[in-house]
Amino acid sequence: MIKSIVSFLFGIFFLFSSCSKDRSFDERELHLISPEKIAGFDPIHASDNYSANEMGKVYEGLFEFHPLKRPYELVPNLAESLPLVSDDGLTYSFKIRAGVHFHDSPAFKDGKGRELKSDDFLYSLKRLADPKLQAKGWWLLDDKIVGLNEWRNKYVAAESSNYGDEIEGLRKIDDYTFSIKLKKPYPQFLYALAMPYTFVVAKEAVEHFAKEFLNHPVGTGPFVLPVFEQTNRIVYTKNPTFREKFYPSEGEEGDDKSGLLADAGKKIPLVDKIIVDIIVESQPKWLSFQKAKADLLEIPKDNFDTAVIAGKDLSPELRSKGIRLFANPQLDVTFFAFNHDDPLFKNKKLRQAMSIAWNRDEANKLFYNKAAIEAQSVIPPGLGGYRKEFKNPYIKFDIDQAKKLLAEAGYPQGKGLPEIKIETRNETVARQLIEHFAKNLDRIGIKIKVSMNTWPELINKVTKRQHQMYTMAWGADYPDAENFLGLLYCPYSSPGSNGANYCNPDFDNLFKMATVLQDGLERNTLYEKMNEMVAVDVPWIFGFNRTKFYLSQAWVRNYKFMEFNHSQFQYLNVDLEVKKELSKKF
Amino acid sequence: MNTNSLWKDAFFRLTKDKLAVASLVIVLAYFIIAILSSLGLIASGWSQEVGASNLAPSIDHFFGTDIFGRSVIMKVIRGTQVAMSVGVAASLIAIPIGVTLGALAGYFGGWVDDFVTWLYTTFSSVPNIMLLISITLILGKGIFSVYVALGLTSWVHLCRLIRGEVLKHREREYVQAAAAIGGGHLRKLFRHILPNVSHIIIINTSMQFQVAIKSEVILSYLGLGVQGEPSWGTMIDDAKLELVRGVWWQLAGATLAMFFILLALNILGDALRDALDPKLKGK
Repeated sequence: MIKSIVSFLFGIFFLFSSCSKDRSFDERELHLISPEKIAGFDPIHASDNYSANEMGKVYEGLFEFHPLKRPYELVPNLAESLPLVSDDGLTYSFKIRAGVHFHDSPAFKDGKGRELKSDDFLYSLKRLADPKLQAKGWWLLDDKIVGLNEWRNKYVAAESSNYGDEIEGLRKIDDYTFSIKLKKPYPQFLYALAMPYTFVVAKEAVEHFAKEFLNHPVGTGPFVLPVFEQTNRIVYTKNPTFREKFYPSEGEEGDDKSGLLADAGKKIPLVDKIIVDIIVESQPKWLSFQKAKADLLEIPKDNFDTAVIAGKDLSPELRSKGIRLFANPQLDVTFFAFNHDDPLFKNKKLRQAMSIAWNRDEANKLFYNKAAIEAQSVIPPGLGGYRKEFKNPYIKFDIDQAKKLLAEAGYPQGKGLPEIKIETRNETVARQLIEHFAKNLDRIGIKIKVSMNTWPELINKVTKRQHQMYTMAWGADYPDAENFLGLLYCPYSSPGSNGANYCNPDFDNLFKMATVLQDGLERNTLYEKMNEMVAVDVPWIFGFNRTKFYLSQAWVRNYKFMEFNHSQFQYLNVDLEVKKELSKKF
Repeated sequence: MNTNSLWKDAFFRLTKDKLAVASLVIVLAYFIIAILSSLGLIASGWSQEVGASNLAPSIDHFFGTDIFGRSVIMKVIRGTQVAMSVGVAASLIAIPIGVTLGALAGYFGGWVDDFVTWLYTTFSSVPNIMLLISITLILGKGIFSVYVALGLTSWVHLCRLIRGEVLKHREREYVQAAAAIGGGHLRKLFRHILPNVSHIIIINTSMQFQVAIKSEVILSYLGLGVQGEPSWGTMIDDAKLELVRGVWWQLAGATLAMFFILLALNILGDALRDALDPKLKGK
């Protein structure tokens, strides 16, 4: 009945709004939705994913992730090639592409965009460190580059920072070459140079627009946006002076078959215009997609059952319009963490008993529409260090074995075991998930108490070690398992990211060895070893690697899910013929 | 000539109002359900699975089942226990505070009155829900905090009413007569004035009771109320996500339960006011 009321209301809405014609068939336009307002276009403040996505259209960095290859591969973008790294792993020499120009802008002489030089990178990295600018991305370089922290500290109390100062770790070699010297090996450094924080800006533009710089993005990117106004729509047009950059001609296995290589070798960007509508609420987002006013959409949680039948197939109504469904496994892991400060959890058998008493299959059905993958250990699939063949014996639901382990742990039928309190976020699904966990553990005699917290309260409790157990999810910052393994590294204990305060000397030794190694077989072998070591030690009760669902209109080409997708849009294409044909159905 | 006492008279007037009697029966029924539930005589197995997840209402499951296959009707009953206990506990805390402060302020006037007036104006200037949230955050979560938080925030209205009434009564002849035969302040206040304004407490309690129930639902909805126990608030919170999928019975169960008790308390409150304070009738 409720459904019919909802559809009736939708019907009325459509009736009154179907008169507006908003489709163009002359230009290749890509219509996107941003779920949050954009704070401005200064890369050094690109701390949230939504702003980062917008900046990725106008600005670029030295590197980017290959749009098709998986696992994620870092490829040169403004850099001509991957850098030369000195033997000690500390000095990186970068060669940048010649003939790259900034967007045309009144900031430059004659309004013509100037050529990109190595000075621009050094300037942009210094901006990230400038104490006057309070960059949100400073943590990325903090204590990493020789002399940079000293330069920053020098100007903390001064009126303004002097960008002319020489910094030992940032050296210009010639107009197209520069080097960066690190304090200690940091193999993830190149990932930092693919993040929006380190995108390159022009000094002239920063000085010309001064305080208004964040509303006048001047980059080298595939699209231009002369002025950014804080409205609900952002319109980007193709950069007429964009360099010769081509669609990749190779990808992952199967990409050819799914048509992802149809545009191979073509000059990008492939669309003429990108129109981004800012829509915060999920219902209007859904309606906008249904009316073909948006080309891509992450399915709002509440609309899942309308769009996807039985958790996997697209509804016939959407299929008849040619809409495609993408299920994208995320680089994330959910978990219940023990606080290993608590002597209770020194008991490994207890941890293992709790882990196998939880029916993950049922939880998957109830909370993730059966679309999540049971996490075997800390590293999610898709990252080096994850081995498909490895199955964690302590995640398989087995109530008898759980009872046996609990007895061996010294608590037969839970006798003598105090009630265990789990902290979680104040959110419906988070609460229900713990209720489910508690219900399962009750069967072997373990009593669980739920404690709900606001987000800051939860973080505070974990940071101050006031928790007994807590539950959370971790999403990748960059595609390197180090980002996940660090969650169990002893020196990162609270207030660091190891909120479980788990300490395992063998694991820590391997971590120290692995994190200074460059990407490769040796490092991956170490990662695998660590991943499988902690799996059986059960420092957390591993939960799930989740899946997000996206819809794309039939005319969108080359869409493939990317976790780090700020540079993805230049590769997308729109098939005008298909759009014209199918638009009649909307 | 009518020789009945005030109370008997009021009771007589109340029983003539059929709607009020029906409301009284409903309120009593809720109390009985709450007491039976707290004694474990009904709905003690609310946490047990009785069927599959999200079963629609049927003969077997009168109000269907929730996401974990638990009976919604049992959760509603358990929620009734929580709601009624919150109403009672909050009133038990709020009435003594409101009555004492109001009576002292009204009777003594002067700086005592200034102080109490300042206190309740300050309290009432903070939005109630904010105050509630802050108190539950300080006290930690759980049903006890909800009792205290609601008790501490809901005395203001009663205090203001009692103050006004006492102010009016302290100049009356019967109080002067009490003073003439040597009655002290406390005797005049508690022996003579308070019994004459006590009907206000009863009227106010029935009104306050429903505010307490509503607030508990809001707090639990926000995740600040009872933990690990069913509450109408958490049931509505569950329903928020289930509705799009057409699972309406949890919302229906909780809101219907809430609707009847709130309506009954409202009507009863009005009827009590009419019965106990006939001069106000129709105002």
